Amino acid sequence: MTTAKFSVNELTVYYAIKMGMQNVSMDINDRQITALIGASGCGKSTFLRCLNRMNDLIDVARVSRCTWDSPSESYVPTSHASGAVLMDGEDIYAASVDAVELRQRVGMVFQKPNPFPKSIYDNVAYGPRIHGLANSSEELDHIVEDSLTKAGLWKEVNDRLKQPGTSLSGGQQQRLCIARAISAGPEVLLMDEPCSALDPIATGIIEELMVELKKDYTIVIVTHSMSQARRVSDRTAFFHLGELVEMNDTSVLFENPSNDQTKGFISGRFG
Amino acid sequence: MSFSLKDLERRARRQSAERRFRAYGIIALGVAAAMLLTLFFTIFTTGISAFWRYETAIEFTLDAKTLKIDPTASYSEDEYRSAVRKAPYSKVIKNAVYGLFPDVKKRKQKIRLAKMVSYGAESLLRDTLMSGDAKVGDKIKLWVPLSDDLDTFLKGNIDASLPEKKRRVKDIEMSWLETLESEGSIRQVFDWGFFVRADSREPEIAGLGGAIKGSFYLLLVTFMLSVPIGVMAAIYLEEFARKNKFTDFIEININNLAAVPSIIFGLLGLAMFLNFLGFPRSAPLVGGMVLSLMTLPTVIIASRNAIAAVPPTLREAAIGLGASPMQTVLHHVLPVAMPGIITGTILGLARALGETAPLIMIGMVAFIASVPDSIVDPSTALPVQIYLWVDSPERAFVAKSNAAIMVMLAFLLVMNGTAAYLRYRAENR
Repeated sequence: MTTAKFSVNELTVYYAIKMGMQNVSMDINDRQITALIGASGCGKSTFLRCLNRMNDLIDVARVSRCTWDSPSESYVPTSHASGAVLMDGEDIYAASVDAVELRQRVGMVFQKPNPFPKSIYDNVAYGPRIHGLANSSEELDHIVEDSLTKAGLWKEVNDRLKQPGTSLSGGQQQRLCIARAISAGPEVLLMDEPCSALDPIATGIIEELMVELKKDYTIVIVTHSMSQARRVSDRTAFFHLGELVEMNDTSVLFENPSNDQTKGFISGRFG
Repeated sequence: MSFSLKDLERRARRQSAERRFRAYGIIALGVAAAMLLTLFFTIFTTGISAFWRYETAIEFTLDAKTLKIDPTASYSEDEYRSAVRKAPYSKVIKNAVYGLFPDVKKRKQKIRLAKMVSYGAESLLRDTLMSGDAKVGDKIKLWVPLSDDLDTFLKGNIDASLPEKKRRVKDIEMSWLETLESEGSIRQVFDWGFFVRADSREPEIAGLGGAIKGSFYLLLVTFMLSVPIGVMAAIYLEEFARKNKFTDFIEININNLAAVPSIIFGLLGLAMFLNFLGFPRSAPLVGGMVLSLMTLPTVIIASRNAIAAVPPTLREAAIGLGASPMQTVLHHVLPVAMPGIITGTILGLARALGETAPLIMIGMVAFIASVPDSIVDPSTALPVQIYLWVDSPERAFVAKSNAAIMVMLAFLLVMNGTAAYLRYRAENR
C-alpha cells in the first residue's frame, strides 16, 4: 500500500502577470518515482520548484527587469501562488514552516551539474555541516562515504576526495550532486531534467541509481525524455500549457492514455 | 580553385588593412611605453640622489662656557637635562667651523662658513650629550650633514661653470669643500633617516617619515571604513534588496557619486566632520573618512559586479541544499566573488593614496614638522608632501620631491602586488 508523500490541491502559480501553471492537483506517492513530462514552458519545472519552495527565491530578488510595455507593470514584483501543497499532511506554505528547513527535507538536483568550486569531500560534507548532522569528523567521514556510495561514486573517487568537484566528468559531477543532496538527509529528491546534459552512458548510470534510491527516497523527476520516464518512473504526469492533463501509473499512461493530447504527445505527434 | 583579378585585389586590400590595423596597435603601445619610460627616467634620475647625503667630519669642543653648563654646579637630573636641551649648540658649531678655516676673517665669508654645516648638527650634538656618549668638556669628532646648497653642489646639481653671482655656491665655499675632501673628511652615506624624519624647512633634514606614516594611517582608516560598508552594501543590494524604484534610485546615485570630483568630498568633509562634528583638523582620521566617502562608490560598484557575476546555479545549489540566504552568501557567493572585490577595493585605495584635493580641504596640507603617533595627530600624506616640496624654493627640494614620488610609486607597487597575490590565492583556493 503506497501512501501519498505530497498532496497538491488546486495549486496555481503566477509570475507577475504571466501564468506559470494553474489548478494542478495531484498526489505524489512515497518511495516511488513520479515523472513529470510535457513540452517546454508547460509548468512542470514550476510545479517541481513548488515542492521545496524554490519559487520563493523569486520573491527575494534577482528577477531581471521585465520588458512588458505597461508602465504600471514594469517591474516583476513577485510570484504569486494559491492552492495548497501538503507534505505528510502538513501545508508547506503555512506561516509556521521554515523554507530553509523544508529544503533540507526536500533535496534538489538540477539540470546542469552544479558542484561547488570546492573539493569532492567538501561538496558532500557541506549539507551535514550546516545542518549539524555530524558530531565528529569520523561521523562526517562516514556520512560522506555513505552518500557517495549511495550515489555510486565512492569507488571512483575514494582516492581523490581532496580534488575539486569540478574536475570530474559531467556524469560524475551529476552523481556528486546527487550524493550532496542525499548527505543532507532528505526524504524527497526533486530532479529537474538531471540527465539532459549527459551522454547516454552517464544517463543509464543515473537511471539505475534512481531506481536504487527510490527504496529510501521519494523521487520526483522532470524529464524531456519519454523513454526515460517510461524506464524509471512508477507514475507519470503529463502537463500541457500550465495544466495537468493526465496522471496515471506509467504503464497505463503510456500504453493506454485516456486523453487525446497525451496520446498525441507520447506518440510524438506534437510537443 | 581559381581567383579573378578582383578577388586578388580585394584580398591584397584586406591583408594590408589587417597589417595597418596591427601597426596602429603597436604604435599606440610604443607611444604609451615611451611616455611612461620618460616619466620614470626623469623621476628616477632627478630623485635618486635625494636618498644619499654628504657629511663632513668636524671636531667639536663641548666646553662648559659656550654651552652655559657649569661643570662644578650640582644639577639634579631634570635640571641637567633641561640645561643640555637649552644649550646654544649653534655657537659650538660656529667655533668648530671657524676653527677649520682660521684664515677666514671677512664678515660675509664668516657667515657663509657658519652656514656650511646643516642646522641638523645641533640636534645631533644635543643627542650625543643626552645619551651620555660625550660629556661636557669633551672634544668629539662627529659626521654632520652639510648644508643643502653644498650637498646639492656635491651631487652635481649646481653648475660650477656659471658666473659666481648667479651661483648659490660661491668660489670660496668650493675651495673649502676641496680642502675638506683632500683631508678625507667628506663622505656620502645612504640617508635612512629620509624615511623616518618628519618634514622640515631645511631640505637636508626634511624627511618623508611623517608623510609615509600619515598616508599609512589614512589608508588604514579608509580601508576599515570603506571595505566593510561597501561590501555589505553591495551584498544587500545584489542579494537581498527587491528591485524597485527606490533601489534603482540608490543605484543611479552610487554610479553618479563615483564620478563626483574628489574636492567636493573634501568640502563635505570640511563642512560635516570639521565644522559640524568638530573632529580634529589635519588628522588622518578625518582624511580617511573623506577618502572612504570617495572610495565607497568604487568599492560598491566593483563588489556588486563581482557578486552579480557569480553563477546563479551556485546559489540554487546551496539554497536547494537547505542553506539559509546568509549561509549561501558567506559560504558560496562571497568566496567566488572575492577576487573581483579585492581588485575593486585596491583600485579604490590606490586612487585614495594619490588623492590630494580633498586633503587640502580638511587641512592636511599644513606644514607639520612631527611624525604622527596616532590617527588623530596632525599629519600630512605622501601626495600632499610632494605638493608642498615642489612648491618650496630651495633647490634641494627638487630632488626630494622626486624621491617622494618614487616612494609613493613603491607604495602603489606594494599595494598592487598584495592585491595580485590575494587575488591569486582567492582564485586558486
